[in-house]
Amino acid sequence: MKAIKGILLTCDSAVKQILLTMNEKESFIIEDLDDFHLVIKADEEYRVRRELETELEKNTYSLEG
Amino acid sequence: MAPKRPAESLGESSSSLKRPRTQTDNEDYLDDVELEQEVGGVSPPDTPISGGNKINFSALTRRLAAGRDTLDSDEPSALTAHRRQQDKLVSHVFDQDFTWLNLKPDHASRPIWISPEDGHIILEAFSPIAEQAQDFLVAISEPVSRPAFIHEYKLTSYSLYAAVSVGLQTEDIIEVLNRLSKVPVPEEIITFIRDRTLSYGKVKLVLKHNKYFIESSYPETLQYLLKDAVIREARVVSQPTDTSIKGATFGTTKAPAKPTLPVAGSKELEKKNAEGSGKAGGTTVAGASTDADLFTSVVGVDADEIDDEDENVHSFEIDDTKIDDVKKRCNELEYPMLEEYDFRNDTINANLDIDLKPATVIRPYQETSLSKMFGNGRARSGIIVLPCGAGKTLVGITAACTIKKSCVVLCTSSVSVMQWRSQFMQWSNVTDRQLAVFTADQKEYFAGDSGIVISTYSMVASTHNRSYESKKMMEFLQSREWGFILLDEVHVVPAAMFRRVVTTIKAHSKLGLTATLVREDDKIADLNYMIGPKLYEANWMDLAAKGHIANVQCAEVWCPMTPEFYREYLQERSRKRMLLYSMNPRKFQACQFLIKYHEDRGDKIIVFSDNVYALEAYAKRLGKAFIHGGTGQTERMRVLERFQHDPRVNTIFLSKVGDTSIDLPEATCLIQISSHFGSRRQEAQRLGRILRAKRRNDEGFNAFFYSLVSKDTQEMFYSTKRQQFLIDQGYAFKVITHLDGLETLPDLVYKTRDSQIELLSAVLQANESAADLGSDIQAKEGDLAGTVTSKDFGMPTKGRPAQRTTGSLAALSGGQHMSYIEQNKSANKKLAKDATSRSKLFLNREKKMAAAKKESRMAGGG
Repeated sequence: MKAIKGILLTCDSAVKQILLTMNEKESFIIEDLDDFHLVIKADEEYRVRRELETELEKNTYSLEG
Repeated sequence: MAPKRPAESLGESSSSLKRPRTQTDNEDYLDDVELEQEVGGVSPPDTPISGGNKINFSALTRRLAAGRDTLDSDEPSALTAHRRQQDKLVSHVFDQDFTWLNLKPDHASRPIWISPEDGHIILEAFSPIAEQAQDFLVAISEPVSRPAFIHEYKLTSYSLYAAVSVGLQTEDIIEVLNRLSKVPVPEEIITFIRDRTLSYGKVKLVLKHNKYFIESSYPETLQYLLKDAVIREARVVSQPTDTSIKGATFGTTKAPAKPTLPVAGSKELEKKNAEGSGKAGGTTVAGASTDADLFTSVVGVDADEIDDEDENVHSFEIDDTKIDDVKKRCNELEYPMLEEYDFRNDTINANLDIDLKPATVIRPYQETSLSKMFGNGRARSGIIVLPCGAGKTLVGITAACTIKKSCVVLCTSSVSVMQWRSQFMQWSNVTDRQLAVFTADQKEYFAGDSGIVISTYSMVASTHNRSYESKKMMEFLQSREWGFILLDEVHVVPAAMFRRVVTTIKAHSKLGLTATLVREDDKIADLNYMIGPKLYEANWMDLAAKGHIANVQCAEVWCPMTPEFYREYLQERSRKRMLLYSMNPRKFQACQFLIKYHEDRGDKIIVFSDNVYALEAYAKRLGKAFIHGGTGQTERMRVLERFQHDPRVNTIFLSKVGDTSIDLPEATCLIQISSHFGSRRQEAQRLGRILRAKRRNDEGFNAFFYSLVSKDTQEMFYSTKRQQFLIDQGYAFKVITHLDGLETLPDLVYKTRDSQIELLSAVLQANESAADLGSDIQAKEGDLAGTVTSKDFGMPTKGRPAQRTTGSLAALSGGQHMSYIEQNKSANKKLAKDATSRSKLFLNREKKMAAAKKESRMAGGG
């Protein structure tokens, strides 16, 4: 079996749920460890972080917005 | 570096506030600069780098300044290079770079900054003379934000218009600004003020002996206006013989009492207010508050400060029928007219003999607001802004009692009509016969020549077919002249409706009352020309500090979503998302915890939820009484009564009905579980429910305002948006991320994952329409659209649409439900049962009495 370089993500349960939904669109999760830990593909890390950021930003109110 | 003379300059600036007009401040400033040259002798003031005289906007620049101070002993050339670098950095970091504005040498003792670009004024609220500065700034500009230490105000055309209308003069405004400002008032701002105030307030529209007069102290202005064709035509020439000479063209009368210098006025005003309230308090305690006393305490404030100069006022008469054209034309010519009502000399309209009851005490700020209205012995039209629970109604009633003419009161819903009515009865000695109510259900007339009519906006402005009685009533309202029209909650009324109201009812003076001069659609500016300028806006924090409204601790409680709920939330794209975040089990727990905590403290708690589905679920699960639109009248009364008087019922759940439709009792703690998106108005209104708490005068007493928010959802966004208004008023929201002791709470709801999942499946099964907000309330005829039902604030309400759902027959007949037994009974029902427990003795007696009555009736009939 081919080895994949992975990275361990520690997150809270809400973020984990967001990641799981994102995973349904484009798979990047290697292993779902427990409520707070995921192993994801290392080369997807940057993209995932960015998308997560925009997702969370949606719920923030700014005076300009 | 710069010569600091805090003590002297403080004395100077505060004494100069009292001085009417000395030298202009520019000279003042130049003197100071020379002084600096003599004392410091560092750099000529015209170079851009006179040390220490720069605006330090933030910690960063302050740090730079500190560095600069140490460098000051260096060679000037090195300093110049250094400064240039700094400036570059500063303008790089901030969009606006005002380092070119020179600070006055004694800037430390002056409290305000003025931004040359947009007219924003920043006030240091911790400055010793901040209070006077505040009074002045409130008069000339709009408060933008007033937290504890730094206040922000904005100069606008309307605010200057308002300033002129309460009697401030252009030069005085500029002079006082210059005295207070750390930097010389920028040229742009001076020109702005001059431009705006030049025309504003120069012309007054006065109703005297039922004739409209255009009045002005400036004959040139009237000449100018008369050159206009529209106005010339509308003019009624009383003395047709002399037209040649300017002086004879206008009737000339003595000027009415004119208030003096702004800040001096406000300072003395304060003193006077203290005396005045003392006096009012004293007399009322003695039970002998006469009309005269009241009047002086309200109006005398300015009357005592009549300026020495004896100005002549010129005027000409205007045809009544053309008054609208003239008003419009004047606005176009940029000479908007101030409307004033000389009610004491009005002999044509019958007086209304009402007065405040002797026991009624007006609070100082209410007096201040009224003194702005009756500043020169006449009634000005305008808007008074006071927080909810600060006694807006009493201000309105006092104004009516001062004018003492027939009066129309307009409010938003039929419920508030009844509230106004009872308030009138409570505070003033108006009799039942003088007070008439005009709603969909009730159409009354007052007896005699004068009286008060209370109605709703939509009753008066309606263009639909009316019943015969309403038509009659409207004819009555239109046919006569009113001394005074009181407009409650002016911020909610649509502009078109307003215009109709104002044109159909002819009133000499208008007073708008509101707590929150914000609209989600930003149509506030419209009110300026339809009613008048803002006369007074109270500072919430000030009132709270003085104990007039309760001290409120605001908190936003973050409840994390459980993973299951959040998963569904992420997948759901419809309105049901709303339901998911309001039904979050953690929110349930937080709510339960807070209720328990505050009940143990002895608080009375109101829980608000706009979502009816969530409301019922919460109330039933937690075993509390609730009221929503579907709750019957008798049940409502029973629940409310229990809440007020029964020490065992300390918590009620309310839907949107609580916002406007019912007269809410006092509470000391308020919890919000779901709310109307980002409505700032609703938030402020709800806060108002606890501001009037009676125990507020106890030492250290606090009321509590909690907003429960599900983390990582849209609710976070809305919640922050909703808070903006209150934050601008100076309230600070604490964020609570964890409630200590929540886990150990006995019988905590939805503790296990299984029960949470059960709840989730119940939520998922719920109809999509269950997610709607405020779906329980139906507007009655006469209620203002958008204020009661308010699915969308300010949108016309439609009838309830038909709903179609798919489902199997078995499901519809209940065959798929888990159980038929209702485990979770409404607490309302229990209350009902308790209520019937009366003594047998009384029951028997009643039975007997009923039987006796029946017998006698039978006997009478037979």
